[in-house]
Amino acid sequence: MTHGTAAPALKMGVPIPNGKLGMWLFLGTEIMFFTAFIGTYIVLRMGSPGWPTDPEVTHIRVWAGGTNTFVLICSSVSVVLAHEAMAMLDFRRATKWIGLTLTLACVFLGIKSYEYYGKFSHDILPNHVAESPTQALDKLAREMDAATGLPALKAEQNNIKQLQALGQGNEEVLAKRLEGVDKQIADRAEIEAAYKPLREKIKAQNITLPESREALAKLQEKYPQFAGVHDPHVILYGNIFSSTYFLLTGFHAIHVLVGMLMFAIILWRGLSNTLTTEHAVLVENAGLYWHFVDLVWIFLFPLIYII
Amino acid sequence: MTDGHVSGQTHEAEAHSHHGQYLLVFYALCVLTALSVIADLAGGGKGRIVLALIVLTIACFKALFVMMYFMHLKFEGKWKYALLAPTGVLAIALMVALGPDIGMHYYDQQVPQVTEEAQQALHDAHGEAGHSEAGQGADAHGKAPAEH
Repeated sequence: MTHGTAAPALKMGVPIPNGKLGMWLFLGTEIMFFTAFIGTYIVLRMGSPGWPTDPEVTHIRVWAGGTNTFVLICSSVSVVLAHEAMAMLDFRRATKWIGLTLTLACVFLGIKSYEYYGKFSHDILPNHVAESPTQALDKLAREMDAATGLPALKAEQNNIKQLQALGQGNEEVLAKRLEGVDKQIADRAEIEAAYKPLREKIKAQNITLPESREALAKLQEKYPQFAGVHDPHVILYGNIFSSTYFLLTGFHAIHVLVGMLMFAIILWRGLSNTLTTEHAVLVENAGLYWHFVDLVWIFLFPLIYII
Repeated sequence: MTDGHVSGQTHEAEAHSHHGQYLLVFYALCVLTALSVIADLAGGGKGRIVLALIVLTIACFKALFVMMYFMHLKFEGKWKYALLAPTGVLAIALMVALGPDIGMHYYDQQVPQVTEEAQQALHDAHGEAGHSEAGQGADAHGKAPAEH
């Protein structure tokens, strides 16, 4: 028998664990995914002279992006130290580093949420931004209408009256509904009288942006209902700016969330003392994925926050 | 599983030597990030192309550090070339293919918002020079300055 001297069976493929190979192949597809987005962003950006860059307009703060860059760098170090602790079979230390990484990921998303809040509160959202004075005034009119609620009430009043004229529906119910709607419209008579002149001027295209801003400020002083109406202003290419901003940072944030899920699983295993050598590849893969998330941000930070 | 153990043992032997490297890379990444911010502050909005080249070059170096040390590509075998060459080539090819779209503008900027903006700029220029602008093409809305 030659079993004792037989050469070891040949192993096909690359000399790394299958899980790690899978992760690298996945990261290869991810590189293409983000390269396409970043390339498209650069094309749109370079093809749009007058792209908004003023922080007072875009509400993009370099300090926020810089802090998040620092947070991600710290998390990259902590995850690599967790991987190192796993290699040294120090699972308790690995758990601590993973816990720190998860915390830093939460900080990153917290800062990102703060930035997103700024965009939402200033209505810098796709298809919401006025790119010309005409659009700005139209938007102002729409927002004032929505703030008073009068167009919706008047539409309902008309519907009820039509139903009554056609003899459809329960008469008593319709009469009660109409009474309620009429009362709501009557309650808004003062505010309607106050904002109607401005509304009419916008409709007749007989007002400039500064004049409309002045008129709005006066209305907001007197009627809190108009507090949520945005200051009418123009942001050239604001819609495509916000589309690309939310696409790039949004997909990155989704990747952060997936990474957090992986860290949460590892942390749970560590805290329940079930983290073993078997999970070394899992920690390594989570680390590789997280470094890729950091890598993407390394390019997003200059592209979105600086240039 | 065996592969996992082999990988673990290899890293265990190298763990101590890597620890200092990780810290050095961390410091380098922090310094490079600070340099990007300084470049932005020093630029003051002027010379955006130069600023873009500077910060993107810095970003490339940062990415290189992360890939080489944190992702351990510097210490991995030759498999990394086989695995990453296709995606690397395709990613670079995509950016090269987009080059003409980035560098050349084939059409005039005749989109409505730019036209309206140009009319406003013209109106402002004439207004400052003391000319009357009545009936010169700037309508009531065109009178509104674009706010940024």
